[in-house]
Amino acid sequence: MTMSSVAPEAAGYNVDVVEKTDNRMVLSMGPQHPSTHGVLQIVTEIEGEIVTKASPEIGYLHTGIEKSAENLFWSQASTVIERMDYLSPLTNALCYYLAVEKLLAIEQQIPPRAQQVRVLVSELSRIASHCVWLGTGGIDLGALTGFFYCFDLRERILDLFEMSGGARMHPNYIRVGGLAQDLPDGFLGKLDAVIDMYEPRMRDVRRLLQKNPILQDRMIDVGIIEPQDAVAWSLTGPVLRGTGIAYDVRKAFPYCGYENYEFDVPTRTEGDAYARFLVRLDEMDEAMRIVRQVRKELDAPGPWQIPDTKFAPPPKETIALSMEALIHHFKLVSESFRVPPGDVYQAVEGPRGELGYYVVSNGDNRPWRVRTRPPSMYNLQVLKKIALGELIADMVVMIGSLDPVFGEVDR
Amino acid sequence: MALNGGGDFLLTTVDSVARWAQASSVWPLTMGLACCAIEMMTATAPEYDIARLGSEVFRASPRQADLMIVSGRVSKKMGPIVKRLYDQMPEPKWVISMGACASSGGVFDNYAIVQGVDTIIPVDVYVPGCPPTPDGLLYAVNLIQQQIKAGGRGGVLARA
Amino acid sequence: MPSPQAPPAGATALDPTAVRPDIADARVVRTTPGELRAVLDGLRNEGMTMLVDVGGVDYLERVPRYDVVYHLMKITTAPASPAQVGTPERVRVLCGVPGDAPVVPSVAGVWPSADWAEREIFDLYGITFTGHPDLRRIQMPDEWEGHPLRKDYPLRGPARERTPRPSFALKSNVAAGTPASGRTAAALQKQIAQARGRSELHGAADPAAAAQSAKHPGGSATAGEAKPEQLADRPVNLKSKDNTP
Repeated sequence: MTMSSVAPEAAGYNVDVVEKTDNRMVLSMGPQHPSTHGVLQIVTEIEGEIVTKASPEIGYLHTGIEKSAENLFWSQASTVIERMDYLSPLTNALCYYLAVEKLLAIEQQIPPRAQQVRVLVSELSRIASHCVWLGTGGIDLGALTGFFYCFDLRERILDLFEMSGGARMHPNYIRVGGLAQDLPDGFLGKLDAVIDMYEPRMRDVRRLLQKNPILQDRMIDVGIIEPQDAVAWSLTGPVLRGTGIAYDVRKAFPYCGYENYEFDVPTRTEGDAYARFLVRLDEMDEAMRIVRQVRKELDAPGPWQIPDTKFAPPPKETIALSMEALIHHFKLVSESFRVPPGDVYQAVEGPRGELGYYVVSNGDNRPWRVRTRPPSMYNLQVLKKIALGELIADMVVMIGSLDPVFGEVDR
Repeated sequence: MALNGGGDFLLTTVDSVARWAQASSVWPLTMGLACCAIEMMTATAPEYDIARLGSEVFRASPRQADLMIVSGRVSKKMGPIVKRLYDQMPEPKWVISMGACASSGGVFDNYAIVQGVDTIIPVDVYVPGCPPTPDGLLYAVNLIQQQIKAGGRGGVLARA
Repeated sequence: MPSPQAPPAGATALDPTAVRPDIADARVVRTTPGELRAVLDGLRNEGMTMLVDVGGVDYLERVPRYDVVYHLMKITTAPASPAQVGTPERVRVLCGVPGDAPVVPSVAGVWPSADWAEREIFDLYGITFTGHPDLRRIQMPDEWEGHPLRKDYPLRGPARERTPRPSFALKSNVAAGTPASGRTAAALQKQIAQARGRSELHGAADPAAAAQSAKHPGGSATAGEAKPEQLADRPVNLKSKDNTP
């Protein structure tokens, strides 16, 4: 097999290895690299230690998820779609199902408890995702203790996902019309434990990292983005909010009842890596604030799935008793429901930014097209601009501050 | 190993000491591709702690690693790179194919994914799951240690 | 093998995207490659500062075949609080691109974020963007042939379409003429005949043995009683003797 990663010549560089009298060289960083947060190749042209050109090459994790989704039923497609942003899988599924529910015109029928649990798992996913970002970002800079603290917090959250959805990652817990099942017994007790554990743990993490002089030295004034550039480069999420524009899809285009919860949108104006770092730390706190508010609402029981069994399977107990339930269940499993033709663009606020799905249906029981609006891909693209003039050692810091997930970048 | 009665000598074979050393210090290569990579990182976290099995450090350079944990889906673009990294690892080397995608293509039966990394490199242990829990990965490392102690030098399935 | 899905039917074939005005998630503008720059410049002057996404859709039998979809949003370019950001206006521009000459002007000069998005559409659909600074494949390897997200590109890639999945044939996903895999009646008859022939060779033309082999065509060594002389003749091999695929 020939080497199919991009050779420097193909990317337009003049590779001159014969007589090098200056300090210029072309350095290929990745695609296997401990600090690129995934499979990313950056072909950098450096002069001494300063980067004069940075060309990220992606596609090393291209999975054909969108093509797979076109060949699966509407409810099956979420299994592959969940595997895009693998740090917060439920967010992908939520956005996709919100789009499907819009096309089915059943979004008003989703019961409140289902909306509340959807908000709960979205915010827990956000915290879990930021735990990974924080831990690995710290490792990139040599701060290993933060990694252990953050991953332990993440473990407790993954325990909750395993309890409710069945798997730690990719639980496929969100379904059309609501959830896969109600919250099991004992879930709320465990959720309380996580809520109690959160504050002292984050206090420790902040004490370790936030005012750490090494971290500040490495992050302040690195990778500065101006707000107008941020908009021109289609940045969203903490990267955009680190430049001063407080655009959050939960506030701008509320979904799942987010308008009922009180939370702030942390914003900084410096635009450097440290600003994005602080924004994400504050976002974790805001997410936990939402979790606390949702927790109070979850004490009251209620339906967790729309009653219309043409889209959501009937309760298992009724299948032995009701012919209609049996038929609906059979139809859903063997043929799935059909979605009326049309297209829709649905966005949610993922941990990385505005995650959007442009879903097109032609009336069939399979999606015609599921186009992902990948926040990580647009966020990563700005690396071409902000890496110029920075030290090669700062490349790692910049990638970490953009927080890309390559399952989403490459799909 | 046999202890001399006087207590001043230790008799053993070089092989068993070498295998004991290899099995107790299996250093993986950071071959994290996708979701399974996150569970691999979680296996280094305190809850599961792969370091107590000897995998204290994950080496980024293939020259310094003896275990490649292929964690995640291998795309057709990444395949040659996985092969190249495997070739760059010095012998003896072992491979764990972690997760359904690395073992067989997983949920992605399509144009973009290599249907099993064992079509490119010889695999010693397969770990099922999507993703497998870190316990599964720890068990796989245990199996590798058993293979090492039994004298396997890696790629045993390919050479069988 | 084309996708098992049927292309948009009837009235929706021309524009499935205009069917649902009730959804109202964005203002929809339809255009052609010739007018695209003018439309996008006009929207940009209106204040659509952010190009949220550029995506492609293949409608296969519709004319024009492809849609390149531009999602735009009107958002402030200066620091602003959530209240000041408010609810930005969204616009969706659908540019119908013909299948025989898929060429669209690039907007990478206007919105730098379009760079990779257009490369991806080029890679996966084969639509060329004129004026793009660096139009080459981005997701697939450089030497890949074909454009995978097109509807007539097989899901498993051209090399692997010979093995239809699942292994049992469903009417909906087996192309006409593809033989079902697995044991066909013809293969079964062949195995029975071979088993009969083999037991005749060993002198015991036993109808019971033949019936036994017929019931367990995988080899009589694994079924019921094996005749002692059969065991003595050859080493026990639990794999099927004929291994008919």
